[in-house]
Amino acid sequence: MEKRPSYYQEVKGKGIARRDFLKFCTTMAAFLGLEANGAGQIANALQTKPRLPVIWFHFQECTCCSESFIRSSHPLVADIVLNKISLDYQETLMAASGFQAEEAYQAVMKKYPGQYIVMVEGSIPTENEAYCCIGGRSALQILEEAVANCMAVVAWGNCASSGCVQAASPNPTGAKPVHEVISGKPVVNVQGCPPIADVMAGVVVHLLTFGRIPQLDSLGRPKAFYSRRVHDTCYRRASFDAGLFVESFDDEGAKRGYCLYKMGCKGPVTYNSCGIIKWNDGVSYPIQSGHPCIGCSEKGFWDNGPFYQHLPSVAGFGIETTADKIGLGLGVLTAAGMAAHAITTNIRKHKEITNEPETNLKES
Amino acid sequence: MAERIVIDPITRIEGHLRVEIEVKDGFVTDAFSAGTMVRGIETILKGRDPRDAWAFVGRVCGVCTSTHSLTSVRTVENALGISVPPNAELIRNLMANALYIQDHVVHFYALHALDWVDVVSALSANPAESSRIAQSISAWPKSSVGYFTDVQNQVKKFVESGQLGIFANGYWGHKAYKLPPEVNLIAVAHYLEALEWQKELVKVHTIFGGKNPHPNYVVGGVPCSINIDEANAINAERLAFVGQLFQDAKVFVDQVYIPDLLAVATYYKSDWGAIGGGLTNYMSFGDFPTNGYNHPESFKMPRGVILNRDLSKIHEIKAEDQDEIQEFINNSWYEYSKGDKVGLHPWEGETKFNYTGPKPPYKNLDFSQKYSWVKTPRWKGLPMEVGPLSRMLVGYASGLPEYKEVIESTLKALDVPVTALFSTLGRTAARGLETKLVCGWALEFYQQLLDNIKNGDSRTMNNEKWEPESWPKMAKGIGLVEAPRGALSHFIVIEDKKIANYQMVVPTTWNASPRDLNGQRSAYEAALIGTPIADPKNPLEVLRTIHSFDPCLACAVH
Amino acid sequence: MKSRSVPLREVYVWELPVRIYHWINALCILALCITGYIIGNPIAVMKGTEAYQNFWFGNVRFIHFVAAFLFFFNFVFRTYWGFVGNEYSRWYNFIPLKKSQWIEILEVIKVDVLQVKHKQIDSIGHNSLASFIYFITFLMFLLQCLTGFGMYAAMSTSYLPQLFAWFVPFLGGDIAVRQIHHILMWAFILFAIVHVYLVFYHDYIERRGITSSMIGGWKFIEEDVALRNDDSATSTSPKKGKK
Ligand code: HEM
Ligand code: HEM
Ligand code: NFV
Ligand code: SF4
Ligand code: SF4
Ligand code: F3S
Ligand SMILES: [Mg+2]
Repeated sequence: MEKRPSYYQEVKGKGIARRDFLKFCTTMAAFLGLEANGAGQIANALQTKPRLPVIWFHFQECTCCSESFIRSSHPLVADIVLNKISLDYQETLMAASGFQAEEAYQAVMKKYPGQYIVMVEGSIPTENEAYCCIGGRSALQILEEAVANCMAVVAWGNCASSGCVQAASPNPTGAKPVHEVISGKPVVNVQGCPPIADVMAGVVVHLLTFGRIPQLDSLGRPKAFYSRRVHDTCYRRASFDAGLFVESFDDEGAKRGYCLYKMGCKGPVTYNSCGIIKWNDGVSYPIQSGHPCIGCSEKGFWDNGPFYQHLPSVAGFGIETTADKIGLGLGVLTAAGMAAHAITTNIRKHKEITNEPETNLKES
Repeated sequence: MAERIVIDPITRIEGHLRVEIEVKDGFVTDAFSAGTMVRGIETILKGRDPRDAWAFVGRVCGVCTSTHSLTSVRTVENALGISVPPNAELIRNLMANALYIQDHVVHFYALHALDWVDVVSALSANPAESSRIAQSISAWPKSSVGYFTDVQNQVKKFVESGQLGIFANGYWGHKAYKLPPEVNLIAVAHYLEALEWQKELVKVHTIFGGKNPHPNYVVGGVPCSINIDEANAINAERLAFVGQLFQDAKVFVDQVYIPDLLAVATYYKSDWGAIGGGLTNYMSFGDFPTNGYNHPESFKMPRGVILNRDLSKIHEIKAEDQDEIQEFINNSWYEYSKGDKVGLHPWEGETKFNYTGPKPPYKNLDFSQKYSWVKTPRWKGLPMEVGPLSRMLVGYASGLPEYKEVIESTLKALDVPVTALFSTLGRTAARGLETKLVCGWALEFYQQLLDNIKNGDSRTMNNEKWEPESWPKMAKGIGLVEAPRGALSHFIVIEDKKIANYQMVVPTTWNASPRDLNGQRSAYEAALIGTPIADPKNPLEVLRTIHSFDPCLACAVH
Repeated sequence: MKSRSVPLREVYVWELPVRIYHWINALCILALCITGYIIGNPIAVMKGTEAYQNFWFGNVRFIHFVAAFLFFFNFVFRTYWGFVGNEYSRWYNFIPLKKSQWIEILEVIKVDVLQVKHKQIDSIGHNSLASFIYFITFLMFLLQCLTGFGMYAAMSTSYLPQLFAWFVPFLGGDIAVRQIHHILMWAFILFAIVHVYLVFYHDYIERRGITSSMIGGWKFIEEDVALRNDDSATSTSPKKGKK
């Protein structure tokens, strides 16, 4: 018979006394705003719950979400994988291959109906399902089956949240994000290309600690990490407000760390934690290292280029054409039109201008 | 009768790879490798700003992250005639070095180790004996009895939980596992350590490129400025950080990776030093310029082709030559406007889907027809193996002292002949030895960067051709890079300031491709022939050879 | 050039609130276009200084936001006035729901735009084409407020912008919103140029004092036109305009 340790056993294994454990439960209850006897409920839940089973699929992706995930530093990924969740299917890390691998996630679906989380890295091709197959089954078939009985879905990265690079025009494979191909289950869009490691870990910890998915914004992103624009937490913001801008890479302004707005920075239109949590354990983030934000946590950011221009080109006018160029062109045309109209007026409406209007009232 | 075995998904790789083998009398008699996912990034690039391409192609792969971006900026620079300042070249080298070391370590431990290491056997190890062995092969400080006892207890507790997570359904207890329990325990401990360690070195990318995975690049240089008197740029603190990261990396590689590699090799050399050789042609584009990317003779890794394992001759590569590099699609799910029977040089390359395979769900693919999303690249009509082994061989055959030194001393230590290199184990060993070389080079490049700055050169960007107005109406470019997995090339055609064609021929495309018009196998299929299979239900041996290439299917197909 | 000897009637067309609205609106749009353009294409006026010494770009944005609030409430007020103001300012002038309005639109195009027909247009307030164009501009005002305050919601804790926050995800994100906001600026600029030109044009052709009408409120309408209008007024509007 299999034994699964509960959180309590887990904690006990780490040498924590039962009294401390109950104290922890009381604190948690207070933190979550539960009644005094809520502590009992939490203690109960943690003593009997197995590690949260997770099935992690790879579809149309580049595995950098997995790579980012293993860069997590608090908690460390080894800690997550060994002590916090039960990562029962993850193609990049798992030992089993072939049919043994497939059996691993089938077992989870059978053993833990309604209790497991499906995590998805990558988009799903819809133009022809055969554009992404695993074990002879299509991504869509696999996903639909796995989602049917899951608790919730975590969509990792821009691919699973909004299709990312393969969904960029002309989207040759008809790549779609998770929330567009499934229904009836909560989907957490952990945006970014890839998402920040500690944000990914943060979402997992949130699920475990609070037992429910985090609050989401209107685009399905957890508010805890995506409620602020990069621009609003950017340390170069003072330069922006002062009007101090980098005008070309490595110019005087770049060497002094001025704002990258004129280099096309998408910080003002991008919601992410880069300025707060930063990347790779807080070492830096794109702007700090001199490159403008390209908006990698926004839907469709690929088609809003060129990246070195602050607003997208207008589709159909070529890569360099901004709204301003078109606007100016139309302005010139309008002025010319007015001049022509004014001249015509003086010729064709000569009578009205020079004569008494009565004579003109009759239709000519 | 030959038995047909399907392994899909092949795990512990990047991407979606399916391998089907035919086994007769305990040996593989035929093998097919198929990439089963496609995205069409080459098509998506058409009509875009060439200066943006690095970001798109960067997303081809997050495992060899940055390598396609580097190739892309080189490609565009080549087309537009831009040469980057020395500091930019050095910083790009340092970023590529960091990727090599991190990627190779992650491959050895997270992706490859479980082919050689039996996690379950580690439970019965004697930690005291593990400690003794560990201390006898390395000065790595975490080698006490207590340490190995802790690791063993952690694993025990994990196994007893019944929730085996990523270790469920492995080939534990397979008779092809040969390490004693104590060595298995050391390896398991280092598996966990490597997982924790790998996130450090990538900070080199974060410092220069703002993030990892997918750091930033720019055409004409690097985005980060150097200003040693400014808090907002690369200054003494940032440089010291980089230096420290590489020093720590060298210690990890010397004291953990290389000793573990040699330990594994000691136990497996007798058979796996002769299995899995496969192709006899090896290609390397070379990399790590010491005097500018336009001077291949200055590269730390030399360029060239070895044919028929003849180490006495290095053949020259001309990537722009229409008859050298060509891609075929006779067995791949694409169509060419000139039909299936031609090979196209990538400047004329086409990417048009033509799926003719079975409708999913399917049991088997039909290998008499198109059967993969991977195209089939050939050099002068010949299949090539690319990757660490090819690079080490080209370096060795070129007579470079560093290569000779590290290869010969290893062969001697293991007491095996040079021919042992042409094998599954040889491939795995080459990757480790190369990592050792790269650690040394990184420290050299780092010193050169410091010297440059000291001498007053802090330029990191060449802006001359930044504005599209300065570009010719039509331009063509090629970028060659040695990616961790092998020879990587991008080809661009720029027309009217936009990308008219962009084609990538990627290391795993070379290695994982289906057969060509002449029925010649590519590296994976060739290497599997003759592999012993002890238990067809548990084809551990196939994984060993396939993993020795470090497959990346997202790269291969893109 | 001769002066006319036709009997003219003074008609009080634009009540004071409409006039005030008009000029506040014009000034706001001027300010918003200038500051908006600078926000989109900041000039690098400063170099080699420290951020704490300056705030010019912040000021430009501040002016933009102040003007935006004024513009918004002014517009809300005009909408209200469309229900309580005089006959010329009422909402039904702007939305061409009646056949007669469409007929007049075609007439105006023939008479004033293409100039293939010569006659006088009878309307005393806006002609139907102008009204229709204003209606489109009002929609543009609305869209500009939705996009502007939608973006502003992310940088403000105040109540009003939050009401517009939903508009951003509706369009898929800030990038699209910002692009639309920027493009609309050009629509305003083009409108303003043509609008001012046409005001002068009408004054030049019709001599009804249209330019000054937006200052003093009065137009000078030919007596027979005014009479004809009196007759039809009952049928077009429920309430007769005040004089
Ligand atoms: C006639 C009306 C307006 C015009 C012509 C106008 C024009 C502009 C332009 C051209 C930009 C720069 C966009 C870019 O290139 O990024 C801008 C930015 C902006 N506008 Fe307006 N705008 C108008 C009304 C408003 C209104 C009513 C609001 C409401 C608050 C508003 C809020 C904003 C905001 C928040 C920004 C972004 C500023 C920043 O993040 O730095 N605008 N506007
Ligand atoms: C020298 C400058 C201007 C003059 C002399 C002027 C004059 C006038 C006049 C005479 C009318 C009534 C015209 C008619 O019935 O067709 C009018 C209406 C209007 N004007 Fe202007 N205008 C000026 C500038 C502007 C500007 C810059 C804007 C904004 C972009 C603007 C927006 C409007 C609007 C929206 C109306 C409709 C008013 C309503 O009924 O609520 N005007 N203007
Ligand atoms: N094959 C391949 Fe890569 C590498 N190394 C790239 O060029 O892994 Ni994703
Ligand atoms: S979202 Fe970006 S980082 Fe994640 S898999 Fe997709 S391309 Fe890679
Ligand atoms: S660098 Fe980008 S995010 Fe930072 S202040 Fe400037 S525009 Fe905003
Ligand atoms: S490009 Fe992405 S990593 Fe952050 S700074 Fe911008 S959201
Ligand atoms: Mg290709």
